[in-house]
Amino acid sequence: MKAALTGWAWRTPLGPDPEAVLERLLAGETAAAHHRHLAGAPFEVALGGAITAPPAPSKHQRFLRRMGLYALDCGKEAFLKAGIKGGPRVGVFLGYGGLRAHWNDMMPALEHQQEDGQDAWDRGFRLFHPFWMLQHLSNNAQALLAMELGARGEGITCGGANAGAQALGAAQRALSEGTLDAALVVAHDTLLEPETLVELGSRAQGAIRGESFMAPYGGGGSGFLPGEAAVALVLERPAGCAGRALGFLHAADGADGSREEPGQSVLAAVVERALDGVDCDVVDGAARGWMELDGIERRTLASILGEGTPLTATQAAFGQLGAAAAPAQALALVLAMRRGVLPPIASLSRIELGPLRPLTKAEPSNARCALVVSTGAPGLVGAVRVEVA
Amino acid sequence: MRRVAITGLGVVSPFGFGAKAFFDGLISGVTAVRPIASFDASRFPVQHAGEVPQARINRAWLGRALGMDAEDSNLQRWEAGGWLRDRKLSWALLAAREAWVQAGCSEAEGEAALSLALGLEQALLEDFAPIYREGKIQWGEEPKAPLPTVRFRTPVDLGARAVRSLLGLCGRTQVHVSACAAGALAVAHGASLIRRGDSDVVLAGAADAMINPLGLGGMIRLGATSPRNAPDACRPFDRRRDGLALGEGAALFVLEAEDRALARGAKVLGFVKGWGSTQDGFRVTAPRPDGSQAAAAIRRALASAGIAPEALGYVNAHGTGTPLNDPAEARALQVALGPWGGQVPVSSIKGAVGHLMAASGALELAAGMMPFLHGSIPGTVHFTDSDPECPLNVMGPDCHQSDVEHVLSNSFGFGGQNAAVILGAP
Repeated sequence: MKAALTGWAWRTPLGPDPEAVLERLLAGETAAAHHRHLAGAPFEVALGGAITAPPAPSKHQRFLRRMGLYALDCGKEAFLKAGIKGGPRVGVFLGYGGLRAHWNDMMPALEHQQEDGQDAWDRGFRLFHPFWMLQHLSNNAQALLAMELGARGEGITCGGANAGAQALGAAQRALSEGTLDAALVVAHDTLLEPETLVELGSRAQGAIRGESFMAPYGGGGSGFLPGEAAVALVLERPAGCAGRALGFLHAADGADGSREEPGQSVLAAVVERALDGVDCDVVDGAARGWMELDGIERRTLASILGEGTPLTATQAAFGQLGAAAAPAQALALVLAMRRGVLPPIASLSRIELGPLRPLTKAEPSNARCALVVSTGAPGLVGAVRVEVA
Repeated sequence: MRRVAITGLGVVSPFGFGAKAFFDGLISGVTAVRPIASFDASRFPVQHAGEVPQARINRAWLGRALGMDAEDSNLQRWEAGGWLRDRKLSWALLAAREAWVQAGCSEAEGEAALSLALGLEQALLEDFAPIYREGKIQWGEEPKAPLPTVRFRTPVDLGARAVRSLLGLCGRTQVHVSACAAGALAVAHGASLIRRGDSDVVLAGAADAMINPLGLGGMIRLGATSPRNAPDACRPFDRRRDGLALGEGAALFVLEAEDRALARGAKVLGFVKGWGSTQDGFRVTAPRPDGSQAAAAIRRALASAGIAPEALGYVNAHGTGTPLNDPAEARALQVALGPWGGQVPVSSIKGAVGHLMAASGALELAAGMMPFLHGSIPGTVHFTDSDPECPLNVMGPDCHQSDVEHVLSNSFGFGGQNAAVILGAP
């Protein structure tokens, strides 16, 4: 059963206002820039798409840091937009790429530690803030949103590079099983943390290194732009949402064994589950930016959707959004389809020959159904079918 | 509606390796909480925990434990990448292998879904030493010593990657990180996939290992651990309770559509009959004192299982032994189960194995299988002095012979996540 999208909000590298972000997507803008919030840090991965405005001040700053605070902002905004109230039949589903240990908090504990870990308590662990453990709980954002919104129903917090798709799928299941009437799905991730940038720079098919950014599907094959986002979507059962739904979603997710990137068969299986027999007019691709990976993706999608299907890549504009990708892409495409214009792939001027039709310019379209695909290490896939209401 | 059969069970616990060691330990009525051996905890205020009895993990040891050649490419990759430094990964692998083998699974089950709860990512402090200078982490500098590929912190889903790699799984994966309720939610989610027909086979469960300087230090500073540095640190429902003891381990279940299990001749060990989940919406730091939302989760589980409270023969409680949790849970049981709430046998295994955090719900569901597999209910180790604030029929330290059709297992997590799962006899 697909779910109706009745509330939405995001914080992205292109801004927070959905319509303003859509304008920038349609203009072919990219958020690629030097990491302003990590100024002066000499990483091999020099470019990223960062959210520039700080999160709103919050009494929950004790338990949430930057991305969690964005998630809180988005969650409340989307909930308000949906016009629903909390209660036992409203749940919160959160997906995130992974918690970051807050090194600043830990410095007093780390400062005098020895490599062998001897006398760790005396050397600094006794200086931990009493709430340090609680501040690092995986489900804080979910718990705080449930508190703020009065959402008492079931929900989960899930983790991984496709956690947004996992959360969408879990919310859909709860709605279809009838245990909930509404689900707030929130996803956040940042690939711009120092340790992630170090790891992306060392990975074989990782992020772009150095100063030049080449768009995916252009044959240059130099990697992806790391980004970050927080996205919140309110889902309800379609019946009873007449006039309130922006669109409809059907999500799927999967994983390909131990591979770093998913192979053709798993990618195809997840896409087929998301489509569930419905034809799509356009696809927003995973945009990994490596020739081999882009090629596998294009061939796989073309075999299912058709060779001439238009291909866009919102993550070329935002940057790779990790766990936040699936919900962000879904929102971007439903907004674009409602506008009647498909966004181009940012910075793409030369197309690598192959199946599907990569868009180099904004294109007027009557598209009513889109497929959005995201992938992440290791071998994780998220796919969402999005339909205009 | 499809019935969810349990065809495989794998356990790594403070009692040792394998479901047999776990059940033998519970039947014996002793505690596995003992002095920590995996790191030097001698200067920590708390030095006892429910530690899996393997102080050091390396490729050779894990290979032997998994029945693999130490030169296996997976093992080599995991060791070279620094993965084995996170103990819960090894526990997840061992429990997954045991469950998979017991269920008689093979490549035919390669598209099984994986629903796995994993504890907090572990920050790998030794990675910082080469680049920590002048009071700061010098992020951009390449250290002189080569570092493993998993640097600074382990990815949140590392255990899931390893399990998929070990068993060759390529179905969907859900990684649950909902704190102390995560293990139960992972099993409930897996069962939901089967009941709905979305999957035929799911490997579901949890692994956690917080017995390390960060985990132990953080819990001590939080004030959650018992200040008594002793093996009887955790006393669930006892009047003298004063905090929890940390534990570590893993429990994984092979869940399967009953008709499929029977068709391939698999032995059915039990059923996942129902589940319910709610959110307290109260505080990050404490459960809702009236237990109302926990009660709601229990009621949802009963409705999902289609049974009345009186059909429950045993409740495996969350029973952390903390001042706040135990009375809140007692109220929840009384509200949800009515008069039967004060009569149904209740026990908590946390006095025996400690609080396994994200893995607690899964390990306690494994304990909930004990009546079906061994005809007895585990006792509540260190419970000797009942508390009027917890007016339940709490079983004492010894296990009790009992014929039980349905078991309720509760898991309540930090942040107010409540999960209740009901198991049924085979």
